[in-house]
Amino acid sequence: MLRVSAMTTDTEVDLQAINGDAESAAVGIEFGPELMRFAESVATGNAEALRRSRQALLDVAGPAVLVDAAGVAANFQRMVRIADAAGIPVDDMTTELGQQVRDELGISRFPSARNSIGG
Amino acid sequence: MTFFDYSDAPYPIRADIAAAHRDYWRTLARPGSWWTGAERVAIAAESRNAPTCRLCIARKRALSPDSVSGEHDSNGQLPNAVIDAVHRIVTDSSRLTKRYVEDNAAADLSKAAYVELVGIVVAVFSIDEFHRALGMELAPLPTPEPGPISRYRPARLSEDIGFVPTVPPHGAVGAEADLWPPGRTANVVRALTLVPDALRDWRALATAQYLSFAGMQNFVQDPARAINRMQMELVAGRVSAINECFY
Repeated sequence: MLRVSAMTTDTEVDLQAINGDAESAAVGIEFGPELMRFAESVATGNAEALRRSRQALLDVAGPAVLVDAAGVAANFQRMVRIADAAGIPVDDMTTELGQQVRDELGISRFPSARNSIGG
Repeated sequence: MTFFDYSDAPYPIRADIAAAHRDYWRTLARPGSWWTGAERVAIAAESRNAPTCRLCIARKRALSPDSVSGEHDSNGQLPNAVIDAVHRIVTDSSRLTKRYVEDNAAADLSKAAYVELVGIVVAVFSIDEFHRALGMELAPLPTPEPGPISRYRPARLSEDIGFVPTVPPHGAVGAEADLWPPGRTANVVRALTLVPDALRDWRALATAQYLSFAGMQNFVQDPARAINRMQMELVAGRVSAINECFY
């Protein structure tokens, strides 16, 4: 979806932001590094990292951005668990864009990949 | 008791988020399709033990979760298989398997009850995560409402994807007609449709915390949001990667 939204707005992004590269997160995305670190600390549940990343995002972007980012992070803490708990496969494994993104991110190593590609 | 009164929150919380959280708490307290109101609230309470459960932490570190045995740190109000499912969904969902779900079904946790349980756990976890993300206390759980369960099953089900039966893409008809426009769905939307209310609940929460189904078609920026779609997808993608979610 990040790639699709970047293509829609004709913006260059670096998908390695998804893998935690802060320099990549800064490419084309306002407050990218701060948003990335905030998302990361929500997902890892590290209380001290969360406190720091929350303050950093608040300092650069303000409370409305912080609250909306918290909503999205919380939402995807739910969505990933729905996908995994129901064992659903990726809807279409054949699209070129999808394959490109999966290769670039190297996510076939994830245990839940078996729900889409077997194994 | 008024739940999710965010007037004293450290940051202004959008009214639609507060409303969605309140609505879900009301739903949580009521009898569902396969669990009573008391059981639903007990499942919610149990989900709050999972992040600090010592067995879950040990299993998460192990090469195989089943190589570590022991007892969960739990409230002890639910059967062991239910407690285990709740904890695994919160702490190690990417290693859940079809065999795990089928073994549970053979042992008394039916697939329908499992799906409703998943819906409860992830909704409560999501609301709790919103609070943790903003450094706020968790909301007290609602008081369960009495009443019978409905035992409702959709008329059309298929077993073409995943671990559990789902409403097929062209099965959103009759009582399920509101689930998605004809033929326009996705596997993650179908995932919990063995209990259609579980999808309705996640859709309502997603509309406030992320985007509505219609809003997801806007890849630029929803005017009601302070972050654009690329910023949203960066957050979504990083959360998914940390959770090792392939989907």
